[in-house]
Parts: sequence; C-alpha cells; structure tokens
Amino acid sequence: MMTKKPDTPVAIPAANRFSRAARKKPILDPQRPSWATLLMFLLPAVALLIVFRLTPIGISIGGSFTSQSLLGETAFDGLGNYKELFSDPSFWNSVYVTLLFNVIINPLQIFVAFIMALLVFAPGRFLTFFRVSFFLPMTMSTALVAVMWNLLFDPNLGLVNSILAHTSMGRQGFFFDEDQALGSMIWISTWKGAGYYMIFLLAGLFRISEELYEAAHVDGASSWQQLRFITLPQMKRTFLFVFVADTTVNLLFFAPVFIITRGGPNGATDTLMYRAYESSFTFVDWGRALSLSCILLALVAIVACAQMLFFKPGEGE
Amino acid sequence: MSDTTRPGSNRPILHFGRYTLMWALAVLALAPLLWMFLSSLRPTQEMFAHASSFSWHTIWPETFTFQNYTALLETGFPRAIGNSLFIAVVTMVVGVFVNAAAAFAFATFDFRFRGPLFLLVLLTAMMPFEAIVLPLYMLVNALGMIDSYSALIVPELANGFVILMFRQFFAAIPRELYEAGRIDGASWLRIFLTIALPVSWPVILTGSIMIFITQFEAFFWPLVAAPSAELTVAQVEIAKNISLEGANWGQLFSSMSIVCVVAALPFLVFQRFYIRNVASSGIK
Repeated sequence: MMTKKPDTPVAIPAANRFSRAARKKPILDPQRPSWATLLMFLLPAVALLIVFRLTPIGISIGGSFTSQSLLGETAFDGLGNYKELFSDPSFWNSVYVTLLFNVIINPLQIFVAFIMALLVFAPGRFLTFFRVSFFLPMTMSTALVAVMWNLLFDPNLGLVNSILAHTSMGRQGFFFDEDQALGSMIWISTWKGAGYYMIFLLAGLFRISEELYEAAHVDGASSWQQLRFITLPQMKRTFLFVFVADTTVNLLFFAPVFIITRGGPNGATDTLMYRAYESSFTFVDWGRALSLSCILLALVAIVACAQMLFFKPGEGE
Repeated sequence: MSDTTRPGSNRPILHFGRYTLMWALAVLALAPLLWMFLSSLRPTQEMFAHASSFSWHTIWPETFTFQNYTALLETGFPRAIGNSLFIAVVTMVVGVFVNAAAAFAFATFDFRFRGPLFLLVLLTAMMPFEAIVLPLYMLVNALGMIDSYSALIVPELANGFVILMFRQFFAAIPRELYEAGRIDGASWLRIFLTIALPVSWPVILTGSIMIFITQFEAFFWPLVAAPSAELTVAQVEIAKNISLEGANWGQLFSSMSIVCVVAALPFLVFQRFYIRNVASSGIK
C-alpha cells in the first residue's frame, strides 16, 4: 500500500520535530479536549437530532406496539401488528419488490454516477455544461419527476410512446405493464438520482493526491491500472457514504409509486414504504404503519452495517 | 489494453469516447427537461394536440407564447420561490457549521460514548421520514413553531447524512496538520475554522449543495408543517397546478422550468471550484 504523505507546508515543521513519532503512531494521541470544547462542537447538532429525530423515532417504535379499536381508542397490542404483517402474503410481496428494486438500482445508480464523475473530473472543454446537465434532474422534487415521467410514458399522449410507435418496438405499457413497471421506476429514479451521487464521487476524486497518479505515471501504469490500484482503493470512504445514502433513499422509495401506480399493476411496484403510507393515510391504521416503518428501519440498519463491513477502510487510510 | 510505453498514443480515441459518452448522458438527462420547457411555451389549447402521433410539432411548439410564465405572476409562485430560497439558504449556511462541528468532534476527539453516540446519529439518518411526520408534527406544534419559517428550518438543520459525510472526510485528514496548530497554542475552535474547514472545501461545498437541495426539493414536510399561503414553498405551489378537477399543464411546466434553473444555481456556482490544480495544492 502506498502511504499518504502530508503534502502541505503547515505540516512540515511539526513533521520535522516529531518525525520519528509521527511515523509510528498519531503524535499526541488520544485527543482529549475539555468538556466545554466537546460540548461546543457536539451540542448543537446532537441536541437538534435528539429533539427532532430521536424523539419522534421513539414515539414511532412505541406506537408500533399499539393498535386502535374501531372507536379510535389506542391500546397496547404487543407484537400483534407484527404477527399480522408476517402472516400476510402481500407483505412478503412488498419485501420482495423492495429488495429486488434495491438490488438492481443501487449498483446501477452508483455505477452511472461514478462514470459521470470520472467523465467530468479530468480537465476538458464544456465541463460546466456537462456537470450542470447531469445535475439538473436532481433539482426537481421526486413527486414532480414522477408527474413528468408519467406523462412522457403515457400509452397514448406520451412523447416516448409516440416515438416508439415509429420503431419496430411499438408502443410499450411502461407503468401499466406488470413486467415493465418496476423497471420504469428504476429508470426514473436513476434519471433523477445519478447526477446527485455524482457530486459526492466527484468531491471524493478531488481528495486523491495527484502525486499518487504522477508516481504511477512514472512507473508506466496504464489508465486502467491507475483506476484499479489508485482511484478505487482511495475512494472507499466515499463509496461507503454514497452506498449507505443511496440504499437508505431507495429502501424508502415511495413518492412515484404513490403518484403513478399505487403499488400496481398486480403488486409489481408495491414497495414497503408505500404500504406504510397506505396503512397510515388510507386505512388510518397507525399501529400497522409504524410497525412497517420499524421493519424498514431495521432493514436499513442491517444493510448499512453490511455495507460498512464491506467497505471498511484498511489500516492507515 | 493500452500501450503503456507510449502514453498518449490512445488519447484521441479516449477523448472521442469520453465526449461521445458525455453527450449521450447529457441528452438523456436534458431531453425530458427540454421537452418540459418547450411545452411550457405552448398555448393551452395546443398542449397535447400533437401528442399521439409523432411529428415535428410533438416536440417543437406550433405557436410560442409566454402566457404560462406571465400568468405565474398572478399566483403565489413568486412568493413561493422566495420562501424556498430563503429556507434553503438559511438552512444551508447554519447547517454546514452545525454538522461540520459535530463531524469534526466525531472524527478528531476521543471521548466516552463516541461510538454509541455516532450510531444514534446514523440511526437518525436512516429513519423513514414519513414514519416520523406525525410525531414530529405533534412535537413541533408543542414547541409553538407550526406554521412558521422555523418549523421548516430548525428541524432540518442537523442532518445525520451530512454529519456522516463530513466525518468520513475529516477522518482522512492527517493529524499532523492539527498538531502544528496545537503547538502554537491555538484553540480547537480555531483549528477547526482555520485548518480543518479550509482543507475540506470539496466536502463543504458538497455538503452545502446537499442541504440546499434537500430543502429546496422537500415537499411532504412543508405541506403539513406550514399550511399558510404566505409560507408555501415552491414545490407545494407547483403541485397546486394538479388537482382533482384537472391539471393546468402550462403553468405546471413553466413553474417546474423556473424551479429547475433556480435550484441548480448553487451547484452552478460551486462546481467552478471543482478544478484539479486547486484541489491538489491543499492549504495556501
């Protein structure tokens, strides 16, 4: 492994004074600041998160163990909501749809985003144009992206179908076709999301020291070798973040399903988050909705932990 | 693959391939938006007149009009754009500092309960927002903040994802950089502001864009938390063009076009700093 050299003028005097120690271990470790300093840094964010995120989560988890009677009274129901869910075949269909959707979309979206980042990273002409083009779809809210693509994919009025009608493919059902609906969902959210993840990967690429590439160049490494042995290992932290963020968003995929297909056709797009929404706002069954949310939370947590183990940065990185 | 002894021999092919791919992706990304923009210039009666059978006018309007844009002035849209910008910019500026400070502490300091506390931060990033809307609404209401700008700003300031992202970058900064400052007797606040933040500019810019966009494209929370007409944000105002009685497609397209351009502005400004030689020079 190549070691990271401090390449900044500020670091040089310190590195000289402590050069021996610096090479072995962090110099003045561990960093133990005063309580006042620690609070100053941590308190604003942590307090806001506790009040506006953790407290509602606590209420949600508590609520998942309750159920409401027909008269609207809330009562403790233990694992009743969960038992009911687990014995419902359509719940397992939703689990299948959600997982299938994620297994395809997360690698796809990040692959496209990484290609985009690599393309607009190296110096070249018109880069501002390309970067902004790739990013623009992200500026629309998910709800409006769904409205727009629903129009574009419309069987009769849609632009895409009026073009396809002139080709050998003919008109396609897209959201109305059981076999194409989930694929169409994957298409629209990749269209919207790829440029967003591009900016994180682009920022990650800029973190890689140019010296590494220069050294590789001197050694005669090909572009492919540079990508394989410098870029990819150095991007681990960035990839970890992007994968966790992307998976979280996509496990909770919801708005386009609500606007376009309502879970159909025949359950092909019935994601867990849509089911939770439907339980809460259509059937006003908060206990069921909250238990679905808790299952989703557990799912996200498990997947994120797995990804962290997979991308765990090696020593010295 | 490539001939390594003569670097640059495959440059023209690489260059051609790179630009072909970039154009292809740009067309895919822009075509729907261009269609939306061109549709926004159509008069109402022409909106879907050429839609079912493909012709030149399916894409290019027969008659051009700005009526869909001028009509927006009569609606709450200008105010809504102003609201969205105000909320997004305030959240971005304050949020960057709040989240970066916490991330710096997680990445740099050693303290009790650091692991569990960071796990809690991660947990907050993972909770389905829809699941906490009702409890969050009750909470914000109890704090007397419902239907105010602070209802839309304060709960969104701290962001688990932004903290995670910043921490990833701060953790990669060599400790030697801070030691120089410590030896000179600088406080941690000073080190944070004058050493950690400046070397992390790519992530600071990215985090800023992330917070801005999250706020600017938010739909569900503003819809429930700020129902007053004078607090309506752009995305909610746009959605008002679609109702059960039918849709005002012209104004839907024109307002969506404007929002796209406005929301892309910070990225347009910030991306200019994503230039290789600036990045590699580090601290100046």
